Amino acid sequence: MSNSFRTTNSTGLINKDKKINFTFNGTIYHGYEGDTLASALIANGVHLVGRSFKYHRPRGFLGVGVEEPNAMVQLHDGNKSEPNIIATEVELVEGLKAKSQNCWPSVQFDIGEINNVLNRFFPAGFYYKTFMWPKSFWMKIYEPFIRKAAGMGKAPLLPDPDRYEHNYEHCDVLVVGSGPSGLASALAAAKNGARVILAEDKPNFGGSLLTDEVTIGNMSGKEWASDTISQLKSMPNVILKKRSQVFGYYDHNMTVMIERVSDHIENPSKYTPRQRLHYIRAGEVIVSTGSIERPISFGNNDRPGIVLASAAKEYMKVYETLVGKKPIIFTNNDTAYSTALEFIKNDIEPIIVDTRDSSNGELVKEVQQKGISIKFNSGIADTKGHLKINSAIIGKLDSSKESFISEETVECDCICMSGGWTPTVHLSSQAGNKLKFNDDIDAFVPDKKRQKETAIGAANGSFTLNQSLAEGFQVGFDLSNKFTDQNNPTNSPNSNEPSYEKHEKLWCMPLPSGKKPKRFIDFQNDVAVSDVELAIREGFRSIEHVKRYTTLGMAGDQGKTSNLNGLQYVSKIEKKIVPEVGHTTFRPPYTPVTIGAIVGREVGNHYLPTRKSPIHTWHEENNAVFVAAGLWQRPRYYPMGSEDMNSAVNREAANVRKNVGICDVTTLGKIDIKGPDAPEFLNRVYTNAWLKLPVGKARYGVMLREDGMVFDDGTTSRLSENHFHMTTTTAQAANVLSHLEYYLQVVWPDLDVNVLSTTEQWSGIAVAGPKSRDLLSKLFPDVDMSNEGLPFMGLVDSSIDGIKARIYRISFSGELAYEVNVESNYGLYTWKKIMEVGQSFDIQPYGTEALSTLRIEMGHVAGAELDGRTIPFDVGLNSMVSQKKDFIGKRSLSKDAFTESDRQTIVGLVPLDKKTKIPEGSHIIEDNSAVAPIPKLGHVSSSCWSVEYNNPFSIAIIKDGKNKIGKNLYAVSPLKDISIPVEVVSSHYVDPEGSRVRS
Amino acid sequence: MLEIKCPYCGKRSQNEFSYGGDATIKRPQLGEEISTEDWDNFVYYRDNPRGKHSELWHHVSGCRQWFKVSRDTATHEIFDTCKMNEDFNV
Amino acid sequence: MQKYSVFSLVKNAFTNHENWEVAWKDPEPKKEYDVIIVGGGGHGLATAYYLAKEHGITNVAILEKGWIGGGNVGRNTTILRSNYMFDSNAHFYEFGMKLWETLSQELNYNVMYSPRGIINLAHSDAQMNAYARRGNSMRLNGIDAILLGRDDLKKMIPFADFSETCRFPIHGGLMQPRGGTARHDAVAWGYARQADSMGVDIIQNCEVTGFDVNNGKIEGVQTSRGNIKTKKVGLCVAGSTTLLADMLNMRLPIEAHVLQACVSEPVKPLLHNVVTFGAGHFYCSQSDKGEMVMGGDLDGYNSYAQRGNMPMIQHVLTGGLAVFPNFSRLKMLRTWGGIMDMSMDGSPIIDKTHIEGVYLNCGWCYGGFKATPSSGFVFAHTIAQDQVHELNSDFNLERFHTGKIIDEKGVGPKPWIG
Repeated sequence: MSNSFRTTNSTGLINKDKKINFTFNGTIYHGYEGDTLASALIANGVHLVGRSFKYHRPRGFLGVGVEEPNAMVQLHDGNKSEPNIIATEVELVEGLKAKSQNCWPSVQFDIGEINNVLNRFFPAGFYYKTFMWPKSFWMKIYEPFIRKAAGMGKAPLLPDPDRYEHNYEHCDVLVVGSGPSGLASALAAAKNGARVILAEDKPNFGGSLLTDEVTIGNMSGKEWASDTISQLKSMPNVILKKRSQVFGYYDHNMTVMIERVSDHIENPSKYTPRQRLHYIRAGEVIVSTGSIERPISFGNNDRPGIVLASAAKEYMKVYETLVGKKPIIFTNNDTAYSTALEFIKNDIEPIIVDTRDSSNGELVKEVQQKGISIKFNSGIADTKGHLKINSAIIGKLDSSKESFISEETVECDCICMSGGWTPTVHLSSQAGNKLKFNDDIDAFVPDKKRQKETAIGAANGSFTLNQSLAEGFQVGFDLSNKFTDQNNPTNSPNSNEPSYEKHEKLWCMPLPSGKKPKRFIDFQNDVAVSDVELAIREGFRSIEHVKRYTTLGMAGDQGKTSNLNGLQYVSKIEKKIVPEVGHTTFRPPYTPVTIGAIVGREVGNHYLPTRKSPIHTWHEENNAVFVAAGLWQRPRYYPMGSEDMNSAVNREAANVRKNVGICDVTTLGKIDIKGPDAPEFLNRVYTNAWLKLPVGKARYGVMLREDGMVFDDGTTSRLSENHFHMTTTTAQAANVLSHLEYYLQVVWPDLDVNVLSTTEQWSGIAVAGPKSRDLLSKLFPDVDMSNEGLPFMGLVDSSIDGIKARIYRISFSGELAYEVNVESNYGLYTWKKIMEVGQSFDIQPYGTEALSTLRIEMGHVAGAELDGRTIPFDVGLNSMVSQKKDFIGKRSLSKDAFTESDRQTIVGLVPLDKKTKIPEGSHIIEDNSAVAPIPKLGHVSSSCWSVEYNNPFSIAIIKDGKNKIGKNLYAVSPLKDISIPVEVVSSHYVDPEGSRVRS
Repeated sequence: MLEIKCPYCGKRSQNEFSYGGDATIKRPQLGEEISTEDWDNFVYYRDNPRGKHSELWHHVSGCRQWFKVSRDTATHEIFDTCKMNEDFNV
Repeated sequence: MQKYSVFSLVKNAFTNHENWEVAWKDPEPKKEYDVIIVGGGGHGLATAYYLAKEHGITNVAILEKGWIGGGNVGRNTTILRSNYMFDSNAHFYEFGMKLWETLSQELNYNVMYSPRGIINLAHSDAQMNAYARRGNSMRLNGIDAILLGRDDLKKMIPFADFSETCRFPIHGGLMQPRGGTARHDAVAWGYARQADSMGVDIIQNCEVTGFDVNNGKIEGVQTSRGNIKTKKVGLCVAGSTTLLADMLNMRLPIEAHVLQACVSEPVKPLLHNVVTFGAGHFYCSQSDKGEMVMGGDLDGYNSYAQRGNMPMIQHVLTGGLAVFPNFSRLKMLRTWGGIMDMSMDGSPIIDKTHIEGVYLNCGWCYGGFKATPSSGFVFAHTIAQDQVHELNSDFNLERFHTGKIIDEKGVGPKPWIG
């Protein structure tokens, strides 16, 4: 039966000369170039594609494009495996592998179908009413059972091997959809000189012109579309994008479009991305997204072989494929008759069932003239056929159309149904357009716009070609005129199309006599008419409640074929008109979008940029183990031989205390501050006094937020009268700069000060330890390194091998220490030079861990203490707070809670056994035998092994800390099941007088 | 993605900017005697209208200037932007 | 009221489910109520339920401008947890966890409480230490918490990025095993159904347009469906709190911000815990339907729009792929936004106000859903007794003046900073 469902004509868009092999559920089939997976399967007589979500009912194809709710497959395997792909959107490519999902062991025989047999026990919301007793069963039995049934396809377990790209575009006019109105508006706008982007979801431009029998000017619709595309292609101001879905319409006319770049190519180059996400900022957006045909609800209307009439037509006309050979056309309107005529062209005589009493439409007459009789005033009551439809029960409707008078069974292999058309208003609605209900077409159409968005053609409820073209040319010209001065309108050509009579307001058939088959509204989520009835019966009367209670419209198709039918049914039960019922909100995305495409290139190691100091290569070459500090990579320690971290850190820290160490501090934030008001500005920013800092001197400063919490700390030095160099912590560098700019530009614009980040301009090298003076004297023989020549907190400019260097005598380690700053490009050279000269002083590099050890021993606070919740008094910075002047955040410090005597403050802790290191994050308690909830005195913020005293030491912030010194308490970490008796000591554990830094 | 007109650089996409909140807050003068309540109003209390909101934005990935934006908090429409020392036109 | 059970379900199946009663009635507002709750969201419905159940106050109306459960209770990512560091939060949320554990039985409505465990991933030792501080605090407060190592996590989420090229490798994590999820809509509907059965009037499509205050006392509420007298009004309108407070001339330390979330298409069960990324804004759980429910951070500017913008979705999903690179080929199905009442210290406000008979429940930031039972419980107490419950005594307005703020994140009064 290979391709036995192909038509004999070749008027479509497939290339029968190029065969393409593919696999579905393990069977190899072939289709042709231009086929979709859907059309190729149908051509091979395969309609059973998958199983529905809840009842595991056999499902096939309903549609032909993005509206498809049923035909979902799993594509490929391994790291390219992809779940929940709708077969109608997959272009056939050699070797494509697809399989059914949500079924086991096979799509033909699926155990899960038991749910269908028992479906009377699973109405909407059944899970809210049961699975509650006994209580313990929910987590252990019920939920695991429900979860097992969850999901449709399977997620891959491996990272995605493909690439995704982003592109940013600007244009005057974006046209979404290339049907007649879209093409007309793009042409008019482009001819008038505007920059136009035309986006089409499908692989071919033309929309309904590819399937409708119409003429425009002296051409067929299809020829006109192709001619218009050729014209647009030749224009430099036009970008044409097919396989491109505009899925989101956001604020300020920003639309987002997903382009399928390479899935349809057999062997794409490895440089070709799989998909490309386009952010398009458009001056005006023309929404010419057309309309989607509505299904009709009737008994068992979900069997494979039951399709939308327009889809059947498109399969015949575009894909040269027959959805069946014994078709029933079931309609409430005229448009389905064009599908009937297409079957007749292929020598197939359809049975036509029309709910209306009569119709005098041109197509109806044409069908009748061909000798086909039409069953008016009739409807389909039920269908039969397990894995594919094989017969329908056609009923004669009574005058109220609420029941059937008589029923007959008719054999068939497909039903092509049409309940009329729903304008695709999603983008307009996303853009903020308040929709209005149009009674003539029984659907919502765009109304008052909030953004620069204009719906035209079928998306605007204009269902005739004439109207669509007229709107297209007019709107295309009008909108483009806002951007160009060409004033060059294009006239709409004459067109010819059949006339249609009105549809009947009937979308749900009565039940067949004596039976209650499911009449589905939302196919994928298995929401039937009875579920909507139940929701309303139980008081879920708002349309949003109906949606949430029944899950109507919440499946992968997001209700493209079901929302309006649901609404219409609610309005019928509630005896309200549809606009009173209202509609649910349309949200982006219009169609599901690959997450990888939304993310683009920022994956794996490129998740965020990696910042490296200019000395990074030396660290790498010298065995450094790195640690992330924000975006930076910093050397954490430099293990020698088989050293573990603790031994390496202790060695590095001890060497600083004993000899001299070198540490890369390039990552510290650096801000250049200039201007006559710079001292005054610093005086306001920092808590201590700055007006009298002499030139050539540095000072430690603490800055607060206005709420009184410590924001950052660092050393700032005065380079000249009006020129300062500020350093910040690595973590807060960017925030401090914004903070300074805020106060200079917003709060105190009268201050004449400029600030500029120089973090990346300087390389910073700390040289610390008792031998640092000797080392630096050797490196900078011209500089007097004595206490008189370069005292603590002094600075001096010098040079090393002709490289300008600035030497600060500052210390974080608490030892005699210097910081050498050179231009970034000379950082590596200078570092190597210091190492080279330092050999004779037993110099060793030290990383951030040893740096921490050194500062913790000294009781210097850092990020763990300055966590955004501490005021200066909490962390022992009392002396930094000026009583004489005002500064940012000062007023907050006098708040009641901030001045309480037993506030948590900083202390040191030493374990009584002098051995057990106290884990950071431990809490301090008084009573080790208490049971939860246990009152906490505070927590351990930083811990180290004191290289000075050779025992553990920690910094903690505890209640009434000052008065607890000398007391014994417990540091506990219940997470690690640790309780350590500790003695509270001063946080300044080593050299509390600070004599070493001044030595 | 919002499109914000920096008064110094022109229209740019939102990802070049960072937000700074209510622009109507006036910091008390330095050294000013001020009640706790007035001070806390400055630190913790903001305008929070549904509709036109005067707010600060910072062109961090651009000219690094702070400026004022008049924006609708319900529709996100931007009515006007101006420099710190200017007033909105609309 | 009909009792829901497997027996009633089976019984009704044989009558085609035609005999189910309404879950709640649709009454006309009366002239006067003892208590009016403004806002038919989770907190409002829960408050009304506990007023009736715990305090015997049943002459209560819930006024909802739209449809009940349409605000944040129906727009969140359904996460339940009590993994807080500060005592005020820890005790309050832990009380809530205990209510969650029996809520389905109490309400006779399956809210699908699912204690699947919430894991905060850590990507550095410093972060592990910060988590340990919080976890230890939880344990000392009697709340479950465990530390997980990298190897533990490899077993639990083997598809996460444990590769060499990972930008921020996973060091370990902090887990609250009893944390988890619940079905958000069911919570609103379950409370509504029980409140209704005890005599509470749930009045939808009824917008409050003003308040009658006389001599510092509340006397009534003006609504789109007429004026209603009352002596007590509880405001439970997170997202719109400022708009109602304006009618009462109250200025609040609150800003409205939009928080987005999104779901993937449903896939077969894969992720069995709630996981939060520690080096970016992303968290995720898989629903019982199979969808990956994902969220992250605020859009970052004041907003009353229940919809967000694309940059934050991109930002959040970028964080998502940094943890779970295999999610790349899944598809994002649906996005939505909710309006957050962002308080200036990130903690809620449940308090009396300067107007006698007006009570305030707001400032829930990102965390209102999990607080639904405990918030309703203590707010009902506060309204009924005219004094705060021990559990909400720290969630007062006064703290912004005394300095006893409860800032779990430590970023200060800039709610848009994540």
